[in-house]
Amino acid sequence: MTTPQLDPKLFAEGPKRDSRFDVRDLWAEMQNFDASDPRLINEFLHRQMNEEINGMEISARNLADFPDAPWELRMSMARQCWDESRHIEAFRGCFERRGVEVGEYPVMNFQYRVITNIPSLIGRLAVQNRSFEAAGIDAIQNEVSEAARREGRTDLDELFDGQLADEVQHVRYANVWVKKLMELGGAAAVFQMTKAVSLANEALKIIAGDAATMYPVAEDVRREAGFTEDEIDVAKRLVAQGTG
Amino acid sequence: MSLTVNDRVRAIATFRFIEVRLMEITAAWTPTTAEMEVKVLFGRHIFDFAQHADWLGKRTFELRKPEQYSLKPAESYVDVIEALAAEEETGKRLSALYDVFIPALESRYRAYVDATDRLLDEPSVVIVERILIDLERMKRDAQRLRERIAVVAVPLPELARRESAHSAIVAPQG
Repeated sequence: MTTPQLDPKLFAEGPKRDSRFDVRDLWAEMQNFDASDPRLINEFLHRQMNEEINGMEISARNLADFPDAPWELRMSMARQCWDESRHIEAFRGCFERRGVEVGEYPVMNFQYRVITNIPSLIGRLAVQNRSFEAAGIDAIQNEVSEAARREGRTDLDELFDGQLADEVQHVRYANVWVKKLMELGGAAAVFQMTKAVSLANEALKIIAGDAATMYPVAEDVRREAGFTEDEIDVAKRLVAQGTG
Repeated sequence: MSLTVNDRVRAIATFRFIEVRLMEITAAWTPTTAEMEVKVLFGRHIFDFAQHADWLGKRTFELRKPEQYSLKPAESYVDVIEALAAEEETGKRLSALYDVFIPALESRYRAYVDATDRLLDEPSVVIVERILIDLERMKRDAQRLRERIAVVAVPLPELARRESAHSAIVAPQG
């Protein structure tokens, strides 16, 4: 499928993928199955595995691109690489048990392309960990709550439970460090962060159009991950606007 | 004569520099390596290198330098590390790191343990022995992966020669 090239002002070059993968640029080019289609869960698990690869690659790039970042922050980013590498294998295991192979569905690398286009570490952490991953913990908490209402425990319930604990740490360290980097960097850091969020929003509109899925804000989990009450209220308002 | 505290901290801080660079190199390779399973291997080992650097960096403070103090090795050895970083092909990256560099690093850690006072410098020895256990596991991880996805080891005699040409890697004291 040929699509117009994404604007290099908004998107960096993509990460490498091996020949099993069919990489697409836009959400509309993906295989988006109806809720009643039995392939929906398989495609979701495969897509999710690739998002975890993106998460690992972004954290790895942050380590490579910002050698002067505080050591404690670099340790957290290195730890995130390990966590995401385990999530990749966990999602792969889940879809392989369902008879799906790596590369069976197309994938998108928009997260990597949007985040690594941001030149500042504070901007990358604000968008990747405090925005994308925070939305991720809302989605996972939604699944964990659904699972708690069902009888029995599946491999997916166990995966989401373990994954949520890790993702809370990723959001939490970003919350801590975005605040510290703002204190250290002053107005320039705030400007970098605001610019990064604005660029990412613009890029996401191109990728997803009106198709972005929003989940109810997991208030307790966001609190655990270091969001303030004001920040949680803002997230709730954004979800209400997005789903209203 | 055993190593002085100054000798010890210079060696430990040099090892820390190397572990940080290995963390950065595997991090840079993660998005630029195509094979998914190799990415995952690097992603796991990034944190191993980071932990080694962290343990060594805590020890530098106990040896009367700042916490997380690093010392750049001899300039010609930095060139060898950068030659490792410059490898682009997956098989060569795996061989350069797991067949050349890590075994050489293991030898250098063992030489340190042999040279230092095992009692007075026991905190360093314990850290180094833990790192050696990790490095052995990391080599096994890489070997199992190569067998699973059929990536053949690539002989890199020039890199090995350049690495082993350095009998000492700690930079001369200025």
